[in-house]
Amino acid sequence: MEVWLLTLTLLLYLLSTASFVVGLLSARPVVRTIAPSCLLAACLCHAGAIAVRSLTVGYFAVTEVHEALSFFACLTAGIGLLVQWRLPVSILGAIVSPIGFILTLGVYVFYTQARALPPTLQSAWLPIHVTAAFLGYAVFVVACSASLVYLIQEKHLKQKKASSFLRRLPSLETLDHLNYLSLAWGFLLLTLGLLSGAVWAEYAWGHFWIWEPRLILSVLTWVLYALLLHYRSAGWRGRRAATLTIVCFAVLVVSFVGVQFFPGRHGGQFG
Amino acid sequence: MASLVQPASSLMVVGLSHHTTPVELREQLAFNDGALDASLPRLVDTETIREGAILSTCNRVEVVAHTPNLDAANEKIRAFLAEEQRVALPRFAPYLYTHINQEAVSHLFRVASSLDSLVVGEPQILGQVKDAYNASSALGTLGTVLHRCFHKSFSVAKRVRTETSIAAKAVSVSSAAVDLACTIFDHLEDKTAMVIGVGEMGEQAVRHLRGRGIGTIMVTNRTFRRAVELARTCNGTVVPFDQLDKHLHLTDVVIGSAGSPHYVLHSGMVEEALEERKRSPMFLIDLGVPRNFDPRLNNLDNVFLYDIDDLEQVVEDHKGERQVEAVKAEAIVAEEVESFWRWFVNQEVTPTIVALREQAELIRSREVEKTLASLADLSPQTKESIEALTRSLTNKLLHPPLAYLKQRHRNSVKREDADAHEAASPHVIRQIFGLDTNEE
Repeated sequence: MEVWLLTLTLLLYLLSTASFVVGLLSARPVVRTIAPSCLLAACLCHAGAIAVRSLTVGYFAVTEVHEALSFFACLTAGIGLLVQWRLPVSILGAIVSPIGFILTLGVYVFYTQARALPPTLQSAWLPIHVTAAFLGYAVFVVACSASLVYLIQEKHLKQKKASSFLRRLPSLETLDHLNYLSLAWGFLLLTLGLLSGAVWAEYAWGHFWIWEPRLILSVLTWVLYALLLHYRSAGWRGRRAATLTIVCFAVLVVSFVGVQFFPGRHGGQFG
Repeated sequence: MASLVQPASSLMVVGLSHHTTPVELREQLAFNDGALDASLPRLVDTETIREGAILSTCNRVEVVAHTPNLDAANEKIRAFLAEEQRVALPRFAPYLYTHINQEAVSHLFRVASSLDSLVVGEPQILGQVKDAYNASSALGTLGTVLHRCFHKSFSVAKRVRTETSIAAKAVSVSSAAVDLACTIFDHLEDKTAMVIGVGEMGEQAVRHLRGRGIGTIMVTNRTFRRAVELARTCNGTVVPFDQLDKHLHLTDVVIGSAGSPHYVLHSGMVEEALEERKRSPMFLIDLGVPRNFDPRLNNLDNVFLYDIDDLEQVVEDHKGERQVEAVKAEAIVAEEVESFWRWFVNQEVTPTIVALREQAELIRSREVEKTLASLADLSPQTKESIEALTRSLTNKLLHPPLAYLKQRHRNSVKREDADAHEAASPHVIRQIFGLDTNEE
């Protein structure tokens, strides 16, 4: 059932990607109304797969590598859908749909059967900590996407190469607004993730902080985002803010993925 | 044109437009609102013009008619225009074009879709076609055919607008500039524009900005009085020229159209303004020749500077894209013309077929009745045989004309088989079989 749902999810992500891309390239508005529905279907299906997995294993399924990937993909697609519903940024769908597709492919690669949850992870803090942190990451994906599109749009405007495709991209103002909005929300969620992690560590290990690469990098990322947000409020807009958002996101990815190769106590397998 | 289908009735468009006709003549022939109400009923009668509508804009005057007699209708429309507008026919006759049947339908669809407009893709024309339709409809000069034809033209226009981006492309330099403003800013309602100088280009740009609902407009000029004049026409506020830099940080869009030998805006001023407005983006449109703004301003972060050459390049690019979109639009029109034409021909053929069958059945049953009444003592079987015999007789006799009508209908829809077009129409069939006169 779970694998069956995942496969359907994968197909729906693919369909959603295709329809978003076609919607961007063609002038037919029909496609533009289909695409979000595809993405919504993919999200729901994906959430269903995660729910089935969680029910099967008997705990909130986010501890294995593939479970974490799956959860993160679903959140990213969901956040993308939410933003796109509120703001005129259909380009976001064309970004989060393929991300959802690739991450879901990763779920297949890393797929493992269920096993007993390590005692340290058997806690009510697990869903809180992981959800807050992952939601934060997903929002940062949106911030980074908005910044990338901003840079593309800005470059073309500066070089005076306005084409009809670019006119279908969101306006610079919208993208900059989205950058700010997603940075603020992402930062809030990241902070919640860190705090809940610290509280949980206090309960589980007896101290809220240990010196290990995973945690150090996480805090470093948090500091970087704090600085970025601060300077943004002080008037760093547009290109500079977009570039820094992308840099911060790169650091985030390194701290999240790269650190998996360091030994540490954080997490069971992943996350 | 003449070799196309000749149904019992035809559609035609007679008119003149900006393509062929000088504006003075168009002005004289244009119907203003009141005049149309008085004139239109005089155009329509039962014999030559069954249904009629007049589309009169500053770019075209066209009469759309549904008529059983093309030549008479053509003459009547010409005379009508001359008489109603008091312009001698020979003066405007050389400019008139006449479209018949599919071509007429196609013309109306293209006009409504703004494919025939001076500025292809401009949105007003659809509204004008709708007004023309509503006016004629209110005057009762439309029947089934033109009602449907106009409604179809609205839906074709809608398809063209949604399925092609022909309407989305800017054509003039100033509208291109405003389009660009929309790729920088999300909406213009809360934005402020400042116009420096009162050149004609600047004025046009301001009009476009107003059209897109810009929040505030400021006008500044070396000669204060002229700034006041422009401000009055565009509902803007006047800023004294020497206080330009004090207001610069308030403006999101700056339009330069001053005839100045020096740069009016340079880096220092704009830097300061940017600092003050927390680096909110600024869009500088330089319409001046020689240029009003220092070209190096484009290197500043969050400043986008377009001069007249850049904008002309944008317009040029759009023209190319327009061509591509126009091909798509023409395909939509062709498709819809065919579908309308199928309906038009069908609505003519079907009643003829039905009438023919009904008449034959009427004659047959009446004759059978008479015969049976005069022959006594017939067995039910014999009666049945007589019924069958007569039925088969009429069917066999009717088969060729019915087949002919149906075949003709198919051909006319496909525009094939030129011979079929020359041949008899449902109208002729009706006459041959006396369908319209047989009133017993």
